[in-house]
Amino acid sequence: MELTTFVQTIANSVVAGSIYATVAVGLALAFGVMQMANHAHGEFFMLGAYVVYVFYALGGMPFPLAVLAAIPTIAIIGLLTERLIFRPTRGNVLAGFMATAGLTWVLQTAAGRIWGLAFMKMIPTPYMGAANIAGAQIGWQRVLIIPAACILLGLLWFFLHRVRWGKALRACAQDPEAAALQGISINKMTALAMGIAGAYAGVAGALLAPIHAVTPYMGRDLLITAFIVVIVGGMSSIEGAVLAAFLLGFIHTFVTTIFDATSAVMVGVAFMAIILIVKPTGLMGRVKA
Amino acid sequence: MKKKGFLKSLVPMTTMVSLVVALSIMTVPTTQAAETINIGFLAALSGPDAGWGLPGITGNQIFIDRVNAEGGLLVGGKRYKLKMYAFDDEATGSKALQGARQLVLEHDVKFISAIGGTPADATHPFLSKKKVFYATLISTDIMPDRPYLIGGGDVTPRIDMLRPWYHKFNNPNLKRWAVTSQDETIGRTCQAWEVGSAIAEGWDVVYDKHFSLETTDFAPVVTAILATKPDVVSLNLTWPDYVTLIIEQLYLQGFKGIISGNYIDTESVLQKVPAEYMEATKSANSFPLFDDPWWGEPSWQHEFIKEWNAKYGPGAPGDVHRKITGIDWDHMIMLMVWAHGAQLAGTFDPDKILEALRAAKSIPTILGPAVMYGKEMWGIDNMVSPPIPIAEVKADCKCKRIQAHIKFEEWFEARKDTIIKVVKDKGQYFDQRK
Repeated sequence: MELTTFVQTIANSVVAGSIYATVAVGLALAFGVMQMANHAHGEFFMLGAYVVYVFYALGGMPFPLAVLAAIPTIAIIGLLTERLIFRPTRGNVLAGFMATAGLTWVLQTAAGRIWGLAFMKMIPTPYMGAANIAGAQIGWQRVLIIPAACILLGLLWFFLHRVRWGKALRACAQDPEAAALQGISINKMTALAMGIAGAYAGVAGALLAPIHAVTPYMGRDLLITAFIVVIVGGMSSIEGAVLAAFLLGFIHTFVTTIFDATSAVMVGVAFMAIILIVKPTGLMGRVKA
Repeated sequence: MKKKGFLKSLVPMTTMVSLVVALSIMTVPTTQAAETINIGFLAALSGPDAGWGLPGITGNQIFIDRVNAEGGLLVGGKRYKLKMYAFDDEATGSKALQGARQLVLEHDVKFISAIGGTPADATHPFLSKKKVFYATLISTDIMPDRPYLIGGGDVTPRIDMLRPWYHKFNNPNLKRWAVTSQDETIGRTCQAWEVGSAIAEGWDVVYDKHFSLETTDFAPVVTAILATKPDVVSLNLTWPDYVTLIIEQLYLQGFKGIISGNYIDTESVLQKVPAEYMEATKSANSFPLFDDPWWGEPSWQHEFIKEWNAKYGPGAPGDVHRKITGIDWDHMIMLMVWAHGAQLAGTFDPDKILEALRAAKSIPTILGPAVMYGKEMWGIDNMVSPPIPIAEVKADCKCKRIQAHIKFEEWFEARKDTIIKVVKDKGQYFDQRK
């Protein structure tokens, strides 16, 4: 591999890792708190992209404002999902998973009915052109993903480790019964977790809308990647999800460049299988007492 | 100038003449009360593949409305109104078979418009037994054991075979050809035909790989392609959504050669890439725009786009909340061919229709006069082969404009041995894909 190609591949890997981390972290958070396995997480991502389509591409709103608009919009959908699906099915992971599989279908169909099917939605690239970083050409829109991911992940870490409600969320994830005995409301915590998960999926979809094919089905493929990331990282570990996201980003990107993109998918899944065989709890997952 | 003149004059006014003749055949007035012949539309109307199916209903309906407004289709001296029944097969075999059964057994359809692929595999035993025409978008579904399956209104893979010739003709000094498409059965077959054609035209094929359908990030795919230093990057049958994202990456990663593809949705691509870049890289592809002045005025193509906008455009009674795409007229081509065949045969008997179509020296289609062809590609002459338009993106109009209109058969006859050998080496010849 030539040096230019190598540098370009490293840059591509960092961008891919940032994307995977931003998408997967909400999924890991929701699963960590009361084991909410949200099959519709990919559709939250899709709806975030549609918020940008509606406000930015159709409405003419500045792109950054459209991205910000996606945060409360999809957070509310996350809250509704918790209240209407996960709370009634609490204690039954499979029931919640299957119910949100149904929600996936509902949201896809609704998006298709409202905004139409056929080909991808036309979303102009807000920041056209590319940055030359050590010989690697990366589109400005993709460069933006890297600091955005750092800020979003940093904010989440700060919230979980420095803010009272964040600590309560972690307590709830570690031992819900003990947390409840300490006066922490499980209902409030699950709602909070799903609100944050929705907000993160939404903002990821919004940021990626200009560089992604925006269709009602765009969340499907990314959901598979997000689940691989969460499983490899350790089902309820945010740090593990971030680590796995970057590992998978590098694996996908390098295998695609050296071999091909079809092999990259196989290697990604094989990577997950190997991790689960060697360390069944994932890279940073812990066995609960 | 001389080359362009040659390319543009290959199939000039014959298109118009044939269409006028065809439409006049269909519109002879009569006072006799019309019976109804049902046709089917069996394709993905929802789900990820709906983009290839759903829009096609509009074109078919425009044709049906036009025929019915004239009193019906004149077959054997009698008028028949046309009526269309649609079934959503969700691009799955089991649903397609269910739909085929419903359309044939409940509605007695004589002709079915479809996308093809897995649904074609699933439905052909039933439809062959019932002797119902099944028209797929892409010719790769044609096989000798599917006598009533016809295809070819869609230019795939003939456009993918002619693009290597087109670029060599215009740029004889270029050598390096890179090609990619998604990893699925149609993509693999079409890419094999393109690679064979590129080799036959003297290109060095430096990249010949597929990407997974799950691919969401095309930056590494493009990095891998550019590492082979290609003169031409061809996207073969890459789906339009992927095309846009790949071209964006080619632009961002600084590719300065020629971009070529089956279908480039100009409007989508220009949201991501400057029009000047698209013009500089030629961006050759098919699926011409019907408002292209090249068709002439008046022309059936211009009339079609006006009619479509009046019926389905913004504010129209059937507003579909999108602009017209190539798929809106793609399915209609085969419906027109079947209708023409029925008129030639004077009956709706499928064997006689096929016989009449194969005997016809020229079959009118909206892309120009076609012939039935394809035995050496698919084992049976069931491919409707109109001339292939090749368009390039132009910066001044931010649209694509036809540069050449090429007859496929003569070109193929001169190169078929080399091409078929490559296709066979890649295991994609029709008798190897069963």
